[in-house]
Amino acid sequence: MAKDRSQRDDYSTPLRRLLIGLVCLCLAAIFLIWRIDSPRVERFRAQLVDTVVPSMDWAMAPVTGAINLFRDFQSYQRLAEQNRELRSELRQMRAWKEAALQLEQENARLLDLNNVRLDPKLTYITGVVLADSGSPFRQSVILNIGARDGIQDGWAAMDGIGLVGRISGTGQDTSRVILLTDAASAVPAVIQPSGQTALVAGDNTAAPVLDFLESPDLIRPGDRVITSGDGSVFPPGLLIGQVAEDRAGRKRVRLSADYERLEFLRVLRHQGSEAIKEPGALVVPAPDATIPPQRPDIIGPQSGTASSGGGNG
Amino acid sequence: MASTSPGRIWMMRMAFPFLALILIFFHLLPLDTLPSRWAPPDLLLALALAWSLRRPDFVPAILIGATMLVADMMFQRPPGLFAMLVVLGCEFLKSRVMPHRETAFAAEWLAVAVVICGIVVLNRAILAILAVAQAPLGLTLIQAILTIAAYPLVVVLSQSLLGVRKLSPSEAEVLGSR
Repeated sequence: MAKDRSQRDDYSTPLRRLLIGLVCLCLAAIFLIWRIDSPRVERFRAQLVDTVVPSMDWAMAPVTGAINLFRDFQSYQRLAEQNRELRSELRQMRAWKEAALQLEQENARLLDLNNVRLDPKLTYITGVVLADSGSPFRQSVILNIGARDGIQDGWAAMDGIGLVGRISGTGQDTSRVILLTDAASAVPAVIQPSGQTALVAGDNTAAPVLDFLESPDLIRPGDRVITSGDGSVFPPGLLIGQVAEDRAGRKRVRLSADYERLEFLRVLRHQGSEAIKEPGALVVPAPDATIPPQRPDIIGPQSGTASSGGGNG
Repeated sequence: MASTSPGRIWMMRMAFPFLALILIFFHLLPLDTLPSRWAPPDLLLALALAWSLRRPDFVPAILIGATMLVADMMFQRPPGLFAMLVVLGCEFLKSRVMPHRETAFAAEWLAVAVVICGIVVLNRAILAILAVAQAPLGLTLIQAILTIAAYPLVVVLSQSLLGVRKLSPSEAEVLGSR
């Protein structure tokens, strides 16, 4: 019997080696294809995630809920303390609310006086976070809205307060949001009130680094960091966070968005800002524009036609 | 004898990707969206290595390759590279296991630790050569060390719960002669 087996090994081992070699070759080929033509493979990855993750959703939601419930029990232990903190915060908020209401009324009156229309293009779609990246090395989440809802790569994702990340990879029903904390994320930003531009670059920590600062002396911890709209990836003026300084003295951004519990994200529809390439393009429409030029008595409609012509072209 | 029947072998071959799916599922739960300072052990890798050492017939190379490729895709790793290294590591261990069937666990653990380190080092080296953006070194090291530390636990669990243990010589004869 032993002899029988050794004979069997004699011819089965080269076959096995061949099989292993083939498997490794296929995997290496996939890796090389990814390295050469990354967008195509990433699109395939988005489609794979698109088929797998929604089918897991029925189980994911209750399990996540149960685990979060369990975690909440731990925080109940210091309930009284929390309650006291919240009460004092609430008192402050009441004062702020009063101020905000007055400002809102004043703002509405002024807007009405000026006959200003807010940019109607900047609407948003809200999605639910289905899953995270699953790996401690990448910071991203998967939303339950995708190409079906008109989501495009590069759009900004926010929670109620601040910027969270940008869309990168859309499937039919899902889309991936690369968070600002991911090492691959870099967002052009402006620091108020000094008006300095910088790059908010993630480095896998909770607070991204402020890169390419011209004069770091001009900014202070607590300054507001907002998107600058450079590179026309994001609309300008979205809140990112506040400047903070780490122990080594590097300037970082304390993010305004609540990264501990990302549940609902709103994705801003942004078609890109109009670039004025030639002098006078805003005043005189392009020669091949189909819309006849109107009398330039009002500024509003004139700029509207110019921008729609640019959008079609 | 029951553990060498074809039905049981095929059942365990199905069990491996199923376990992998469960692990992927728990990794994908959106519990911690804040970047963490440490990395959990790669249980999938430990599972593949433990099963290759105990029952090579439960985890053929194709199965390991396909499962790890899906994990690569889901975890946003460069697809294919880590899967290929895991297949090579598992096959290396499989080829070692035949001559001395009764080895001490410490020796096995050492071999597994060497393989895990080899996989991590090769992975980083190839990514560095091809100029792909890499995860921070500290996190990778923590993950490798924790994976090595978690290996005995994975072995105990798969032996006690799933019955993946080494064959006795008589069972091996039966399996070999078929």
